[in-house]
Order: sequence, then structure tokens, then C-alpha cells
Amino acid sequence: MNRSRPLWIALLLIWSLLPMLWQLITSLTSSDALVNADIPFQQRWTLAHYRELLSGDPPFWRYLFNSSLVGGLSTLLTLLLAVPAAYGIARMAPASRRTIRTVVGAAALFPYVLLFLALLELAREFQMGNNLLAIALPYAGLALPLALLLLISAFEGLPNELDDAARLEGLGVVDRLRWVLMPLIAPATASTGILVFLFAWNEYPIALTWLSRDDLLTLPVAMARIAGSSIYAVPYGAYAAATVLGSLPLLTLVLLCQRQIVAGLTNGAVKG
Amino acid sequence: MLKLNTLGKRYGSRWILRDLNLEVLTGECVALLGPSGCGKSTALRLIAGLEHPDEGGIELEGRSLDGIPAERRRIGMVFQSYALFPHLSVRDNLDLGLKIRGMAPAKRREQIDAVLSTVQLVNEADRRPEQLSGGQRQRVALGRALLRNPSVYLLDEPMSNLDAQLRDELRPELRRLILQGPQPVLYVTHDQQEAMALADRIAVLRNGRIEQIGTPQELYLKPATRFVAGFIGRPQINWLKKTNGACIGIRPEHLRPDENGDRWRLIGREWLGANQLLLMEGAAGQLQMLCSADFQPGEHLGVSWSPKDEHHFDPISEKRLSRS
Repeated sequence: MNRSRPLWIALLLIWSLLPMLWQLITSLTSSDALVNADIPFQQRWTLAHYRELLSGDPPFWRYLFNSSLVGGLSTLLTLLLAVPAAYGIARMAPASRRTIRTVVGAAALFPYVLLFLALLELAREFQMGNNLLAIALPYAGLALPLALLLLISAFEGLPNELDDAARLEGLGVVDRLRWVLMPLIAPATASTGILVFLFAWNEYPIALTWLSRDDLLTLPVAMARIAGSSIYAVPYGAYAAATVLGSLPLLTLVLLCQRQIVAGLTNGAVKG
Repeated sequence: MLKLNTLGKRYGSRWILRDLNLEVLTGECVALLGPSGCGKSTALRLIAGLEHPDEGGIELEGRSLDGIPAERRRIGMVFQSYALFPHLSVRDNLDLGLKIRGMAPAKRREQIDAVLSTVQLVNEADRRPEQLSGGQRQRVALGRALLRNPSVYLLDEPMSNLDAQLRDELRPELRRLILQGPQPVLYVTHDQQEAMALADRIAVLRNGRIEQIGTPQELYLKPATRFVAGFIGRPQINWLKKTNGACIGIRPEHLRPDENGDRWRLIGREWLGANQLLLMEGAAGQLQMLCSADFQPGEHLGVSWSPKDEHHFDPISEKRLSRS
């Protein structure tokens, strides 16, 4: 059992990483080579797709920036609202907590695609179209239920006596959050933040309808445009290059917060 | 001085604490003693301001604590779990409260160093709570309460998470650090021995009400109710079959072997070292006796006691019957 474990892990890794490797290879293969297997190995490789993307109008890094901005802002907004709310809810009586959890859970499970037309009406009414800051509002709103559920559990995992001890030390509610509770739920906050960021990074229907100016597009919309730029051919190479570039910021983020995410996902609690 | 006036707390319609009247004088340590669920910890939480009373009030040094939030009551509390901040070093645990109160860094350092040496944790200052032993954690918690410079100390089962040997070691520490100070101390415990050893007075609680308040001697010699008689004193008091309508209790240490006494059959014994605890069976039920003489199980022996050591209680009200 133990001896075959590395083998299993290797197989699983190949299974899950192969599609990404395929994308990477595709993005580095010239358009001719993609459709012609007879081209010799040494002549298949090119950076043309990347050159094309980065020298486009607007250049591809612009979309990366847009998505990072929207993602960062949505995450910040969500956490600013969810952390204090979760703290308050976690300290309520068990009966009220159960009710709130059910309602929030229902909201988290609601298919948000059903909302996007209504949201579009709102955007039009308040003239929030084509505004990268404004689109963070629906993103934060949609991510809030899930963030709340995760953070409520995190706060519930902290012993009440810690809170009590901090109060007796003279810490008001803001000080308690700042100095005692936030540091202790940091892993949960980090993993929640990443989930929210991922949602904003991947979101398509709202971005598609709220943003129309070329230089304001977020990644998913921009990539859809690349994929559909010609009706006669699918630009596989450029599309693969966009995928690779679009994954890099996420990869960096996850690598940076690796430890917190794992701790946040496995935790029921912080040991008291 | 800490004064509780008809303090009461209920959850829904169930009172978990009622009619608590108690004064803890300057320099005095009063133990709240009772089985779990008797409301003793609730009393502490009310005084600390962590919960709000539904009835009555609390006075500290002549001023009512009504409406003063826990953050601004000057209370040094030690929790059963110690409630140390797990992400902070010992030094930072002690520092947090001082920092929030806006004390200058140099002064903070000086005070913390002083307390660290008082609780003998100078070498552990940079460790996290998880790297400390139970006894060390408890001393950090004591140190944190000391630094608060409180007007009253509230100790909630501060030793019940420690093993017996550590408890014996920490008892003098507790006396030196906290009980000898001028502040009133309220000590919650379910361990009657601990209460007897540390407290000047003991309030025995049962189902949210005080059964009796008195010095350890008073509780032992003149328990006011049947419950107190059973709760104070180890091994537990013996209850004899009712005679003339009274419940009669006699403590194991007041029995003695006597050729002319009633006959009892020895059915078991425990060696306690200096003496042994004999478990006997007879016509009037079972009896425990502390005795230094050597008897073998199965033997029949005579037992007697002096009538003045008997405790009589009314079987219905369970109150002590005074005997002339």
C-alpha cells in the first residue's frame, strides 16, 4: 500500500495536470504545426501567439489588469462585509444562527445567472455599465453568502472564552477583531478570499453584459472574443496562450497562500 | 468590597441563579462551591459583565456596575481553559491589554518583566501558549490577571485542568500571588477540598441558590442543610436510617471501633496510607469509617460514636435541626 502510493500520486497528478500541459504546448506551437502533424519537431515551436496577444489593441495584459482589479476589489468588499457579519452571527443564539444559516445557504445555492438580466436593468438605471469599480458590487453581493457561511464556521470554531478574555482585557469589539479574532481566523479568511477572487476572475455573464468597451473587458469576455474573432477558424494557438497567461496570476496567488488555503480547508477550528 | 444584591439570571423561564446575596470583603477570598450546573460560573460571568443579570445588581467598591460594559470593569479573571491568545507569545499575551489601554512602551515592558519574574516565566516569555505546560499556561493566565491591576479577582475553576500534583504545587502560588493581595477574590470550584484549603468563606450553591455561607469550619461542623453535609467532607458523611423523624448523618472520621457498639460486617476497605477507609454493612444500612487499626474483610466489628457528632436534619425541609 505504502510503496505504491507515490505511483498513485504521480498518476493523479498526470491526470489532473495533463490538460494544462496540453494548453502550454498548444500555446507554443505555430498555427501551421497545429493542423499539420508532418512538420518536423524543431520547426513546430513559436512565441508568435504570445507576441500577437501582447501587441494586440488593447494588449492582453490590460485584461489581466482589469480582472485583477475587479477580483481584488470584489474580494476586499466581500471580506469587509462578511467578516464582521460572520462574527456577529456566530455570537448569536443557536436557534437564530440556524435560521440565518439556512437562509444564507439558500442564497448561496441560488443560480445567479437568473439574476443577470435584472442586474443589467439596475446597471442601466444607475449608469454603472462600463465601470470596473461598479462591477465589483454585484460580484461582492453574489459571493457574500458563501463567504458568510465559511467565515461563520471559522468564528464558531473559536472558543467563546477567548472573546471573553479579550473583553476583560479592555478590548472593544473593533480591537477584539483586529488583535485577537482576525489573526486566528486568518487561514479561513485567506481561503474565503481566494474563492471570491476565483469567482470574480471566472465570472462571465455579468461581465459580458455590463462591460462593452474594448479596454475594460475582463479575461473571460476577452478570451471569448479571441476564440470567436473569426468565423472561419478557431485560433487555437492564441486561445491557448491567453489561457496560459490568464492562469498565471491565479497560480501565483494560490502558491503564495498555499499554506493558509490548506489550513483553511482542513480546519474545523483553531486550537484554543 | 464586592457586593451582590439578590442577583438572578434566567434563560427563558428557567432561573439558573436566584437570590444571590453575597459580600466579599477587602482581602477576603470567598469560594462559590457546588456541583456542575449549580450556577456558580454564571455568577462570575454576571460580575465580569459577560452576561447581564435579570434581577438584582452588583456593587464594587460602593459603586453599581450596572451598565458598565465588561471592557471597562476592572476585573482580573482566570478562566478554566486559561483562554490565552494562542497566536501570541507569552509576552504579547500579557502586553495586549496594556497596549490597548494606551500605556507607554517602556512602562509596559517594565511591568511585564516584573510580572514575568513574579510568575517565574522569564525564560518562557517568547514561547507560544501551545509550547507551555498546563501549569505554565495557568501562571500566564494569573499574570495577565495581575497586570490588569483589578479591583476584584474572579477565578473560574483555575485548577481543574491540572493534575493533582500540579494543583498541590500551585496552591501556595495562588495564595502568594492573588489571595494575599488587598482585592476581594471570588473563587469558583466544584472541589470542596480546594475551597476549604483556599477560601476564608465558602458559599455552597445548589440549583442556583445559596444553601449556606460560612467559614470552612462552620460548614464542616454545622452544615445548615442535608446537601451541605453531604457535599462538605471526604469521605462522605454516612446517613443512618431515620429515627424519630430526623435524618441523621455521622462523618466517617467520627466513628471508632468499640467492643460494646453495634455490630457491623466489614465488606471492603481502602488503604489511604495513614489510615484506612472501612466499608461496613449492618442492620441500619451501610457505613464508612476511617480507622487506623487493621481489620480483615468479613470480620464483624463493633462501632460507636459520640452523639454530639451526629448531624440531624428535617427529612422534608432538609434543614438542620438544632439539638440542645
